[in-house]
Amino acid sequence: MQKLLLIFLFFAFAQVKAQDKIITGTVRDQNGPIPGVSIKVEGTSIGTQTDMNGKFRLQAPPKAVLVLSFIGYATKTVPVTDQTDYAIVLENEENKLNEVVVTALGISRQKKSLGYASQELSGESINQVPSGNITNNLSGKAAGVQITRNNNFGGSTNVVIRGSTSLTGNNQALFVVDGVPVSNTTFNSSDQQGAGGGYDFGNLASDINPDDIESINVLKGAAATALYGSRAANGAIIITTKKGSSKDKVTIEVSSGLTIGSIDKSTWPKFQTQYGAGYEKIYGPNRDQYFNEQDVDGDGIPDLVPPFAAYGSFGGKFDPNLLVFQWDSFDPELPNYKKATPWVAPENGPITFFETPVNNNNNISFAGTTENGGSYRFSYTNMNQKGLMPNSDIKRNNFSLNSSFKLSERFTISGSANFSKADVIGRNLTGNESGSGGGNYSAVVRQWWQNDVDIMKLKDAYFSTRRNITNFIGGTIDNPYWTRYENYESDTRNRFYGNMGLKYKLTEWLNLDGKVSVDTYSYLQEDRTNNGTLGQVGRYTRQDIDFSEINYDLMLNFNKNITEKLNISGVLGTNIRRNNLRTVTMETNGGLIVDRLFSISNSLNQPAAPVEVAENIGVDGIYGLVSLGYKDTYFLDVTGRSDHASTLPEENSTFFYPSVAGSFIFSNLIENKKVLTFGKLRLNYAEVGSSAPANRLLDVLLKPAPFGSVPIYGVNNTKNNANLKPEATRSIEAGVEMAFLNRRLGLDVSLYKTNTRDQIIPVAVSPITGYTSKYVNAGEVQNKGIEVVLSGTPVTKEDFSWDVKVNWAKNENIVLSLFEGVDNLQLGSFRGTVTLNARVGQPYGTLMGADFIYLNGQRVINQTTGEYAKTTTFNNVIGDVNPDWKGGISNSFRYKNFNLSFLIDMQKGGDIYSSDMAQGFRSGLYENTVGNNDLGNPMRNSLADGGGIILDGVAPDGSKNTVRTRMDTYNNALGIVKGPQALFVYDATYVKLREVALTYRLPSKLLKNTPVRNVSISAIGSNLWIIHKNLPYSDPEAGISAGNIQGYQLGPLPTTRDFGFNVKLQF
Amino acid sequence: MKKLTILCALIAISISCKKDLEGLNVNTKDATTAGGGTFFAYAVKEMSSAMQDLTYGATGSPFTICRLFAQQISCNTYNEGSNYYAQFTWTNIYTGVLRNLEESRKTIEATTTIDDAGAKQKQNQLAMIEIMNVYTYAKLVESFGDVPYSEALDIEDVTPKYDDAETIYTDLISRLNAALDKMDVSGKGFGTFDLIYNYSEGTTVNTHPIQDWIKFGNSLKLQMGMRIIDALPQLGTETVRAAVQAGVFASNADIAEFKFLDAQPNTNPLWVDLAVGNRQDFIAAAPFLDQMNTFNDPRRSVFFTTVQGNYVGAPYGQPVEYNRYSHFGDLFYTPAVPSILIDYATVEFLLAEAAERGLAGVTDAEGHYNKAITASFDYYGVSGAAAYLVQPSVAYQTAAGPWQKKIGIQKWIALFNQGFEAWTEYRRLDYPQLQAPPGAFVNVVPRRLLYPTAEQTLNGANWSAAASAIGGDLMTTKLFWDVN
Repeated sequence: MQKLLLIFLFFAFAQVKAQDKIITGTVRDQNGPIPGVSIKVEGTSIGTQTDMNGKFRLQAPPKAVLVLSFIGYATKTVPVTDQTDYAIVLENEENKLNEVVVTALGISRQKKSLGYASQELSGESINQVPSGNITNNLSGKAAGVQITRNNNFGGSTNVVIRGSTSLTGNNQALFVVDGVPVSNTTFNSSDQQGAGGGYDFGNLASDINPDDIESINVLKGAAATALYGSRAANGAIIITTKKGSSKDKVTIEVSSGLTIGSIDKSTWPKFQTQYGAGYEKIYGPNRDQYFNEQDVDGDGIPDLVPPFAAYGSFGGKFDPNLLVFQWDSFDPELPNYKKATPWVAPENGPITFFETPVNNNNNISFAGTTENGGSYRFSYTNMNQKGLMPNSDIKRNNFSLNSSFKLSERFTISGSANFSKADVIGRNLTGNESGSGGGNYSAVVRQWWQNDVDIMKLKDAYFSTRRNITNFIGGTIDNPYWTRYENYESDTRNRFYGNMGLKYKLTEWLNLDGKVSVDTYSYLQEDRTNNGTLGQVGRYTRQDIDFSEINYDLMLNFNKNITEKLNISGVLGTNIRRNNLRTVTMETNGGLIVDRLFSISNSLNQPAAPVEVAENIGVDGIYGLVSLGYKDTYFLDVTGRSDHASTLPEENSTFFYPSVAGSFIFSNLIENKKVLTFGKLRLNYAEVGSSAPANRLLDVLLKPAPFGSVPIYGVNNTKNNANLKPEATRSIEAGVEMAFLNRRLGLDVSLYKTNTRDQIIPVAVSPITGYTSKYVNAGEVQNKGIEVVLSGTPVTKEDFSWDVKVNWAKNENIVLSLFEGVDNLQLGSFRGTVTLNARVGQPYGTLMGADFIYLNGQRVINQTTGEYAKTTTFNNVIGDVNPDWKGGISNSFRYKNFNLSFLIDMQKGGDIYSSDMAQGFRSGLYENTVGNNDLGNPMRNSLADGGGIILDGVAPDGSKNTVRTRMDTYNNALGIVKGPQALFVYDATYVKLREVALTYRLPSKLLKNTPVRNVSISAIGSNLWIIHKNLPYSDPEAGISAGNIQGYQLGPLPTTRDFGFNVKLQF
Repeated sequence: MKKLTILCALIAISISCKKDLEGLNVNTKDATTAGGGTFFAYAVKEMSSAMQDLTYGATGSPFTICRLFAQQISCNTYNEGSNYYAQFTWTNIYTGVLRNLEESRKTIEATTTIDDAGAKQKQNQLAMIEIMNVYTYAKLVESFGDVPYSEALDIEDVTPKYDDAETIYTDLISRLNAALDKMDVSGKGFGTFDLIYNYSEGTTVNTHPIQDWIKFGNSLKLQMGMRIIDALPQLGTETVRAAVQAGVFASNADIAEFKFLDAQPNTNPLWVDLAVGNRQDFIAAAPFLDQMNTFNDPRRSVFFTTVQGNYVGAPYGQPVEYNRYSHFGDLFYTPAVPSILIDYATVEFLLAEAAERGLAGVTDAEGHYNKAITASFDYYGVSGAAAYLVQPSVAYQTAAGPWQKKIGIQKWIALFNQGFEAWTEYRRLDYPQLQAPPGAFVNVVPRRLLYPTAEQTLNGANWSAAASAIGGDLMTTKLFWDVN
């Protein structure tokens, strides 16, 4: 239906405009014609390039505006008149001096004057290969922006710029769309983030429609975001959406894309296919067999039955001649009822559970201007995403309208409205299996599987009976199809964000800008557990979330040339912000009366009272920016902002912070610009204050469910603090920006150091205090690093050009101090006695657990058992989750009408603890738990029978270890329990071919007699190839959730290679 | 100029919003104060739950592992806990129990009473809080040894020191004495917030709760006195004497137990562990069930299920097939099974021991022994106690071994579903004689629990001082009262 509508609109509007005309021309500079100049019709994606002789040909609407750009030249705009042939001269400027970028608070600035690092990305580069979540598309494209995605369906993506600065608070960048701060919250429970199970509800910036993005400016440091104050202390992603601007003309654009995914098998375990269910040879009447004996078919003779209760595959060796009664022999409705079947590896292993993901995205937009100086753009996008797991689906609809009108010569009114509706069914459970009877399928098969189970038999068992038949794995794991179809979640979010602004020009150099902006959503999350689920009663839970943020901004902007050489500009403004968050959570109690009816009123027992949360935050700020420019060469910015925050005690609630930034265009002092075309030095210092989260001053009580009719209250485990004061961040940054050889080569380097102290943190305290954490102002974290952006055009010819861009960033992070008397702050505690910590003198994000015992750098082996000797303490540093560096290389090749681009994204270092490997080894699931040992015998043989392996290490006396250790049991030396946690820490390095796009633009002559002005067809792919990684069986990027808890894997989905096509049409 | 005035006015408005701002940061949904009884009820529920909870031992509250240590049951799947690889947290004891008892005390002390009845009630309530405090700390000391005590529960001191176990225990006994002295049977207690003696959903309310609390306090005192009898004979003797004189439990009607409800979250956590989780993890352990089989003990029908008509215990601490062995009986698969804090059988066993030791003028060890066993049968509604008692292997006169063995073995059986007590009395009496399973991480049955690993990182210096004070933070370190 949606597609029909699109087609209808498409043709309806195609009629409107058939007056395009062909424009030709020549582009040259003082020396002659310039080949390869990009020519675009403003506000559209119509465009072409000049040929060898500087000539171009283009079909353009009347009164369009051509935008010409080429490296080393100033961008030029040429209005289309009645004329059809144009001779255009580009100014061979030494730099793109007048390039304007959007900075904090939507203030447009000339990039040359900025004393801080910012990096611009075009909408096209972000949306070339759609991913369904705009934040994923930033990966590898901006230096210093660390994107950590995960493989959860609709999952959350971490966006951290220049390292984590806050110990326990939010480290995510601020998202701003056309001046509206847009919430990028993640509604994942702390339990989910700590791998305890639960759903990943994604990050809310996914509501931003990538099709609407014109450009993105990444503001990295505190000086860049100083005017935003505390909320942008972690950097900001400033998004500018497309606006209507082609004169008197409607431009219609339609695009449609489809991608399908296939599993990258290097991110999924290779399961061993030789042994089935069991712990070891302990079954049968005398506990010396691999099978139990039971008379199943009633013939009076004991039959062999595999040990269904085992959470692992250290059982009997597969043997097609051995007939056993498997899990499907016990249910009268199943075809194998009372039938013995051969004990063999299954035809359909765990991977067959996954389905083919499909992503479909359609967009239509109408943009234009009106006679009296107005402009508009309407856009509608629908996206449908089907996931890897059965019964998973995301539907998103985005509507947007952007408009501005001149009410008078001095008065301009503008507004934007964006509405999105996102409906999700069937997010995957994450983390530990306890979520819901083994609800996280991936965790179950990676950790506790029985390698004899055939997935398709489970599927048939579910669909033929609609019952939850699973008597394998201890009888505690639901049939995964039951989980997907009977116990699914769903969520739906309706969101609006937009603004209305008035601009009044007081004088030529002074204007007043007022704006009201809002971001609001209502979000319903529902979770279901049908009656009949193992280990729990039927249940329905709903959480209703209502959020709003309103900002009132008033700004006085000035810009005046005091003398010919001295320019002063700036802003004086005020911002009032109000945030409201309300949640209500309700749950049935004791089961469901009617199966599959998921409503609170279907509760078997009286439901408990709903849990309500209300959080209000208000911040009133006043700010000022004064910017001086001298001779277009020396620039100085000074800012100051004072905030008054509701979340701090009255005596500490108002705080001021300044910044100063300077830049110097040294290339202006050089006469000859042949080699060094442009050069700029920048230096800045900034302070930022941050306020506290809501409701952290006064203590409140826990209210557990009443005991029958007796109300009970408890003291909260977190101690609040009535004396909080603002956090303080201080940052210093220096950088150099240079362009060589007429901008064929560009280099931008930044160095920074940021210290965040007096952090408002719930510091974990010994529970002996009666609390588990207390809010304090304490601690200092330092981040320092270097970012390099290198861009170049190695080849630029008429028919062929090659552009390359390299981003590289290294951030070093250290915890300088914590709360007095505390040298370790636990950020997360995981299954397997592994903790993630901020520890004084160590990086933020240090993994701790039991370590090997070393002798002269060699692992010591217990000479009785042949197992690793390990520490009895768990406070040993065993890993650092921070990468050594991250980088991205993007290449773009143009040949005639073809364009090929690809992005290689990489991370060096960073550690990850794999619970899957720890458990998978213990349970004997993976291929490396079988095979032959040094004697040529199967390692799974008993020691007496020549099995076992010799671990690499030394005896306590330093001699080489020769003791063989058992590999015929789930309590083997390589699994969790016997192995130290350090054994399961892996290097998270990766090199990935992240994005590939091959685009063909139809020659305009083919479209001559059609209403279509422009057609491009792309073949696209993402995550096509993991070129290198060190973590077996999984994607090192696949975390649990966005947030501060990283470096731990438990049951991630495999990564998919997504490929497909995209068609764009323009009228 | 007019415009500038408007601008200034707007800025002024935005600044004058201060009042409005401070009002925003008020939590409008959660309570800041509540009555003392609500905290008391919560603390009692938390402690009662902690005594019942059961895991295979990888993590959890400190007492979840004790049933395994006592070898009454075994875990057939993950055997790390039963093989003495275990970490605990005491978070729920300090924050859930002790902190809320403290909050209850503070709240009640801050109330002003207007009449004599009110004053008596306040006294009684404070004494009941003391009894629960003493009970809780006693369990901590009996399982860990030195624990934080004098500097505990102070959020301003996040690195509290550990106190000497013997010093704490001595202080607990004097606190218990003081609390019992203050109780007045003519006054009221916590009313419906007393979830031990005064509350039972749908039944009539107990009219003598304070009387019962006094008996509970004295039974606890008897237990604590006997616990230290070998290490501190003088204080132990005096404590036992005072307790017996004041009056301890005299029947099953007196026992201190917490009755859970049928609906979550107020059910026995054991039911959650066994029935709701539907895990097939726990089975009868051979050392225990073989002993009951030897005695042909009728209580087996309540404690365990049968396998083809037989009661079969599994080799302790070994991975085995679940269905081949006896499991927890049906009783434990019901949500409202009570958590016993101290029962009458325990008191009678202690009196039998007092008679053997010649304490407090108590005589007739055999009579008390018989009453204890009979009380256990009665509690579980099992008949046949008399026949059981006349068996030569059970009868006090003819049962094998010294009194420590006779009492120890029978107490071990009666203390099924009181894992902590079973393990603790095993440590004190040294009967039954249990062995660590082959290949265990520690080669003897643990004598104490390890301090929570979080203490290593959160309170490192004090943890390490305590570890060296008790002779090492090891499972093999004997605690001060565990002599011999």
